[in-house]
Amino acid sequence: MSDTASLIPVTVLTGYLGAGKTTLLNRILTEDHGKKYAVIVNEFGEIGIDNELIIGADEEVFEMNNGCVCCTVRGDLIRVVAGLMKRKGKFDAIIIETTGLADPGPVAQTFFVDDELKAKARLDSVTTVVDAKHILLRLSDSKEAREQIAFADQIVLNKADLVSPEDMRMIEARIRRMNPLAPIHRATRSNVPLSAILGRGGFDLERIVELEPDFLNPAHGEAGHVHDEHCGHDHHGHDHHGDDHGHDHHGHDHGHDHDHGHDHSGNVAATYDDDIKGVSLRLDRPVDAQAVTKWLNDLLAEQGPDILRAKGILDVKGEDKRLVFQAVHMILEGDLQREWRTGEERYSRMVFIGRNLDEAKLRAGFEATAAA
Amino acid sequence: MNVNFEAYVTAALFDSSTRAIFALGDGTVRFEDGTTIDAHPNGSVQCACAHPSGEGIVTGGDDGRVMWSRPSGPELIGEIKGRWIDSVASSAASGLIAFAAGKELRVRDVADPAFERVFKHDASVSDIAFEPKSGKRLATATYGGVALWYARVAEQKPQMLKWAGSHVGLAWAPDGRYIVSSMQEGQLHGWRLSDVKNMQMGGYPAKVKSMTFLFNGMIMATSGSNGAVVWPFGGGNGPMGKQASEVAYDEAGFTSRVAALPTRTLLAVGRDDGRIGVMNLQENRMEKVREERGAPISALALSADGGRVAWGDEDGNAGVAGLPLM
Ligand SMILES: [Zn+2]
Ligand SMILES: [Zn+2]
Repeated sequence: MSDTASLIPVTVLTGYLGAGKTTLLNRILTEDHGKKYAVIVNEFGEIGIDNELIIGADEEVFEMNNGCVCCTVRGDLIRVVAGLMKRKGKFDAIIIETTGLADPGPVAQTFFVDDELKAKARLDSVTTVVDAKHILLRLSDSKEAREQIAFADQIVLNKADLVSPEDMRMIEARIRRMNPLAPIHRATRSNVPLSAILGRGGFDLERIVELEPDFLNPAHGEAGHVHDEHCGHDHHGHDHHGDDHGHDHHGHDHGHDHDHGHDHSGNVAATYDDDIKGVSLRLDRPVDAQAVTKWLNDLLAEQGPDILRAKGILDVKGEDKRLVFQAVHMILEGDLQREWRTGEERYSRMVFIGRNLDEAKLRAGFEATAAA
Repeated sequence: MNVNFEAYVTAALFDSSTRAIFALGDGTVRFEDGTTIDAHPNGSVQCACAHPSGEGIVTGGDDGRVMWSRPSGPELIGEIKGRWIDSVASSAASGLIAFAAGKELRVRDVADPAFERVFKHDASVSDIAFEPKSGKRLATATYGGVALWYARVAEQKPQMLKWAGSHVGLAWAPDGRYIVSSMQEGQLHGWRLSDVKNMQMGGYPAKVKSMTFLFNGMIMATSGSNGAVVWPFGGGNGPMGKQASEVAYDEAGFTSRVAALPTRTLLAVGRDDGRIGVMNLQENRMEKVREERGAPISALALSADGGRVAWGDEDGNAGVAGLPLM
């Protein structure tokens, strides 16, 4: 009934207290972009800005009555967003700031599960703000911190100036192993361009243009960085001149950063074994539509609670268009997208981000869906 | 009457003077003669109900205030500072008004300005219903079930009618014997209060946002499907073991609002494509009130004599139409 353009975009900001979420939020509210935001917050009073559309909410996570632990929604958001819609025309977009302990899963699922909300609003993206100085400790002691990283469409890595370049590389390598899809924006006091946070279409099937999981690419501005689609915007004036602007990701040695990370001493943990990781699968033969659908459905039914996010582009046998999908836990959305172009390399690729992922088993299952 | 208020129509009702009254997303209350009351300046009306006296309308706003608006002006009934009033209900029988913000429910007495009760919940309250006959008890829809409170008692533990999931809407049968809640998952759950027997009433393709009892409590009609879903409540077992039927069925979209009169068989049906019809369930005859398509119908009411229908939609279109004798 409603086309996507008329839906109110919703941006989610997550991250630990003190990581710089509020600074980022204040920038969104004060910078001159001609948009009016309604903001749903959990800690009142932190925002020193007068805005009649700042609403307090209670982070009430409700289980759906199918009895599944991952099938949850945020009841407060359903109520508040429905209430906001009564003020239609008074704002253009919604920001949801979660507490540091929030699981982004229910926030996202709310916008896929509730038909009333779905008819009015669409989730644009999830930004996770982290503090480079404390992130390793957080990753070790907090399940929520790991989930927030894994769930993110983009990550703002604050206090970049307070961490040594070697530690920074290691932090980024660790983040990338957990979430190979989210661009990492190094920042101090959340000074990232807002175009990197707003209007990202992180849940938009049309915007799954290419899936280039980036397990190791050092951050923009670092030695060895390979530019990709995430570098299109201006990173605070640092100079692209003379950099290698090629999009060569395939040449990366998946593992070297991990190894050299072990040699560091000082305040960062030398070894880690995060329960959450990203797994990327690729197949150069076309897949069978029925087989791949069944495999995905079965996988999500069985491992949905552990799979935080998934995205894929599929080359389906007998189909001229690309089949794209995305998933949040057990919620799977797929659609035929544009046609494969003549001369374009056709392949299937999917990326899973989750807990306890058995890469070999996933790969075998995926490869078994190849068309005969 | 046909107007565009240029603000979401949160509620429409007829008061005891048979005036149509509209409450809007811009914080105003509009009477059908054109009188405008700015009940929630710079705010929006989130919920509304009739005043126990029958005169005017009671509104809850995102300014934390509960206001009583009559053509003579607005009057403050209660306030929960810094919060949104999510739901409000009243009882003509007991003269009480209850309103909720988040997990907190408050009760006021129109005859006693000093009277206030505060009831705390473990989760947010989504809807309130008074026991229809005496108005001495009230029910709140919340996460994990429905809480039953004695409206005037200061210190108490509510009786919980438990059922897993999020309960978002409430209807209390006119004879007081059944409570029905609407759930997040597009189904209803009911209880027979005499023995707290559970009734599951499912099969909805959408969330049920509107429920109403009619025909002396023999029937309950709801939105949430292609037509209006009609449940039989006659006999000692309510809808248990019986089938619901669907009237005013139309494949194009869902019903968004239903409205009825307590003793009659008239049922007004508003749809999510803006169309409205009124039917008499005994004759199965449909009178088209609005055929023009537009935003979802968000407010709907029948006048006490069944002679008029008032409606409003999410884009601010609203109207009052006369009905033929049905
Ligand atoms: Zn689940
Ligand atoms: Zn770059």
